[in-house]
Amino acid sequence: MKTKKSLFLNALLILVIMFAFTASANAGGKVYKLGLSLAITGPTSDAGNPYSKGVEDYFKFANETKILGEDTIDCTIRDDQYKTDITKRNFEDYMDQGIVLYLNYSTGSTLGLKKDFEEEKIAVIPASFHRGNLENSNYIFLPVASYSEQVISLGEYVANNHKGSKAKVALFLHPSAFGRGPLADTEAAVKAGLNIEIVEVVEHGKDLDNTAMLTRLMSKGVQYVISQTVQSPVATMLKDAHRLGLIASSFGEEGKITFLGAHYTGGNDLIALAAEASENYFWVCSYNLTSENNEGTKQQLALAKLYGRDEKAANSHNYANGIMVAQVSTEAIRRVKAAGLEVNKANIYKMLNGMNGANAYHPYTTVGPVTYSPTDHAGVDMLQIYAVKNGAFKKVGVPIQSEYMKKIQ
Amino acid sequence: MSANSWLATGNFYTTYKQEQKTFSTSLDRSFFTLFLVILFAWPLLFEMSNKNMLVIDNILIAVVAVMGLNLVTGFAGLISIGHAAFVGIGAYTVASFCRTIGDTHIIITHFWPLMIIVSGLVGAGFGAVVGLPALRLKHLYLAIATLSFQMIFQWVINFASFFNQGQTISVGRVFWVTGKVGRDDHYFFWYYIILVVVVLLGFGIRNLLKTRYGRSLIAVRDNDRAADAMGMNPGLTKVYAFALAGFFAGVAGALHAYVYRGVGFESFTLHESIGYLAMAIVGGLGTLNGSFWGPVAIKYLDLQMEHLSEAMGQYLPSGMNLTTAMKPFTFGLVIVLFLIYEPRGIANWWRIAKSYTKLWPFRY
Amino acid sequence: MSYFFQIVVSGIVVGSIYALAALGMVLIYKSSRVLNIAHGQIIAAGAFITYFLTVSIGMPIFFSFIASMIITFFLAMSVERIFLRRLIGEPIISVIMVTIGLGSILDGLIYLTPFGSENFSFPAFLPQEPLSLGGVSISWTQLVGVIITFILIGLFSWFFKKSTIGISMRAVSDDQFASMSVGISVPKVFGLAWATAGLSAAAAGCIIGNITGLNFDTLHAFGIIVFPVIILGGLDSILGAVVAGIIMGLIQQFASGYLDGNFGLNGTGDVMPYIILLIILLFKPHGLFGIHEIERV
Repeated sequence: MKTKKSLFLNALLILVIMFAFTASANAGGKVYKLGLSLAITGPTSDAGNPYSKGVEDYFKFANETKILGEDTIDCTIRDDQYKTDITKRNFEDYMDQGIVLYLNYSTGSTLGLKKDFEEEKIAVIPASFHRGNLENSNYIFLPVASYSEQVISLGEYVANNHKGSKAKVALFLHPSAFGRGPLADTEAAVKAGLNIEIVEVVEHGKDLDNTAMLTRLMSKGVQYVISQTVQSPVATMLKDAHRLGLIASSFGEEGKITFLGAHYTGGNDLIALAAEASENYFWVCSYNLTSENNEGTKQQLALAKLYGRDEKAANSHNYANGIMVAQVSTEAIRRVKAAGLEVNKANIYKMLNGMNGANAYHPYTTVGPVTYSPTDHAGVDMLQIYAVKNGAFKKVGVPIQSEYMKKIQ
Repeated sequence: MSANSWLATGNFYTTYKQEQKTFSTSLDRSFFTLFLVILFAWPLLFEMSNKNMLVIDNILIAVVAVMGLNLVTGFAGLISIGHAAFVGIGAYTVASFCRTIGDTHIIITHFWPLMIIVSGLVGAGFGAVVGLPALRLKHLYLAIATLSFQMIFQWVINFASFFNQGQTISVGRVFWVTGKVGRDDHYFFWYYIILVVVVLLGFGIRNLLKTRYGRSLIAVRDNDRAADAMGMNPGLTKVYAFALAGFFAGVAGALHAYVYRGVGFESFTLHESIGYLAMAIVGGLGTLNGSFWGPVAIKYLDLQMEHLSEAMGQYLPSGMNLTTAMKPFTFGLVIVLFLIYEPRGIANWWRIAKSYTKLWPFRY
Repeated sequence: MSYFFQIVVSGIVVGSIYALAALGMVLIYKSSRVLNIAHGQIIAAGAFITYFLTVSIGMPIFFSFIASMIITFFLAMSVERIFLRRLIGEPIISVIMVTIGLGSILDGLIYLTPFGSENFSFPAFLPQEPLSLGGVSISWTQLVGVIITFILIGLFSWFFKKSTIGISMRAVSDDQFASMSVGISVPKVFGLAWATAGLSAAAAGCIIGNITGLNFDTLHAFGIIVFPVIILGGLDSILGAVVAGIIMGLIQQFASGYLDGNFGLNGTGDVMPYIILLIILLFKPHGLFGIHEIERV
């Protein structure tokens, strides 16, 4: 039985290889293989789906507009349903195919495969901005500032703008590695002097009603809730808070709660889900939003239009997220080529590490430049705070950078 | 017994002892030996990529787990919707050791066979405890009790900081007599280890079923009150069926931890439990060889769907939804079709094929 | 004290929604002894059909709500006809697995539509202002949800108690052969049980979708979340489902209201129902309202 299967698999493999050779021979240029494994279905697929579209569209665009000259990028995209086992299988498969750069998605699998990345010495850009990804690892490059940095900068924003004595803050977290990521760092920042008090840490379940939690927070005098989860639990919480009349009409209103959140808690879906309860929700993100209508987002919308994406995907910040990761990958390969080096794992890794100073890369999707160095593997360090005003996310102030993150690192 | 030990065209048993022989003819034994030799030899002849080797390892681990599930659900008739949790118990036993003594401690890296056995025993312990409700509950209620265990397991892993709150707990690379098993040989090495485990446990089940302990499982499944009247202890039998299943699952979990070199809670969710049940059913409940067919069929289908999806994805540019829809759709369809048209699973085809060859070239 | 009452009210609200979600499973089990694990998928399908009719076709939400109940009525009936009819009399494990397989097939079908991932939400059609009574507040969405739940449950109870079809359905659940001999068409009864379950699933889907937003993952998880409810209620009792639903809602709300955040515990609302369930099952193996069957050798 097994022999038969192995024969069959081998035959299949040979066919695939032959096919790949003929394909590359026809195209004229070289084909660089990349791999992306992400959750298109299953948990967090509401973010993964537009993300995959962004990656797919930009690589297609890069190939068609010949950003790499005659050479093309072949990025295989596979659904792993947020399961580390499947991610690992995909990764091994991609490695067998000889990829030069690996794009990953979930926090769980990025942490789980960290050792494999080290052993294979391959640069990895995950969609997870978990700071734990960077501990004891040299090959993981976060696209933007980590969740910890996002939550801490929200904490700083609270500390700076809160009137009165110490601001009382509660954290609302996803019950997973992804949600808990920033907890320890935020606590460390508070210890290092960040002027807020963390009153309670809530990990939400599949709640239909958050009344109990919200009234408890109120009784403890909490004025700010910082969320690190996905959109729909936040929307449910906001709706309950709205019903209870707890949402502050302006930042830091006395006796009410101001809600804030990190990257994956915000976006247009949140507004659609929570409707008017989302008003005055503060959100930190490193991407340009289409509701701001600037140069970058115009290009994003044009790309979406080119490949026939619907309104919803086109305006999603996770679509921008996917484009940005593809942009960074393409840029790294372009730079390796421009330097006259062979496009391989080692050289891409070197180029990514050299993406700083004058060499920083400015993709149109983000609010700041992508800067990597051997000591800093978080891409865009700038964070923009947005708030919902009249049903759309609008900028609040200029992009900021966290102070306390540097202190605790 | 007929004089010819190579070909037996009928039943010539004169004692029960003869009937209990593992191989009825020398031909059977030779075939089986040859098959084993092939299983052990082929990876040396064909160069396999890491991914394919990982897939095969994964199938074999599922075989170990499904053998356990088959004991409790197939032979003893107790539906368990929490089998992945037992596998998780095994994996987290290894992980707990890694957490307390470090993942590169000599016990983890050198005494891994011991770790695998310990995980199996811990799994058996939990199996016995979870089996306790079986003393009072039956049918659906028991199935739901095992579901509760699955949910409680997931909750504990996900919230306990000792288990790293469900994040991956890494497990170090193991050592063999030739030294450290490196990345290139990892899956290759574990293929042999798991294969040995599968063969040992397979013979274990086969022999168990010939003893009174094995037969009491089946008696309890068919009618536990009748079994009681005949002097068996149905309560004890049920608990020990769960314990056995827990042992197999625990071993599978430990193997999973070592092969994937990490333990994260996503691998032991309700979805996986359902997957194991599906494998047991497609393979054939209450048969030993069904435990081999099921995992092979389900995992292979999954993989082929992925290939097909990719091939289709080239023609359907934004058809991502179509391609990701294929996997659950075909998974469900296969289960339903088997239940409707072949409720006895692939094992039944095997039985038919075997009885055909036994009589060949005569039809009757 | 108002904290306590708020939790009680929330518990009852959540519990009655559980009851509605559980109702469909109870209806099916009551007549055909099938535990439908694909119920969550039917709930999701009902919610998405309503969304599609409202947003894409532009029907008023009330009509699309009714229309989607009718559509799922026939959808569930055909599911029974195609898959379940062939398995009458098969062992319990086969029937459970068929519904699991069915759930997987429906998963695949829903992934084919744009609704498989991403979030959607119904247009707001109820007042957004909450109702407040002596410090305890409840939203219109929740109130309407509870009212619809109780109307539907009342209707079904009446249906089973008084109407001829309802009585024949109960007869079938009691003894299939005896009911056949008095001229009841057993397959028809099964089909009808599934159809009514589909109808109630659509209602549950819309109400849940209105509270949490429409997300496939969230919605189909309800098929699993309500297990403790139906088991506690005794699988075949409508009243049992209501009482158990409310008990579970209260347990959940009290767990997250008083346990979470204290003693270093979190997310207890999700696991408490299962723990309580396990304890109750040890003392009452047939749930609170289930019929104790007498087995003979």
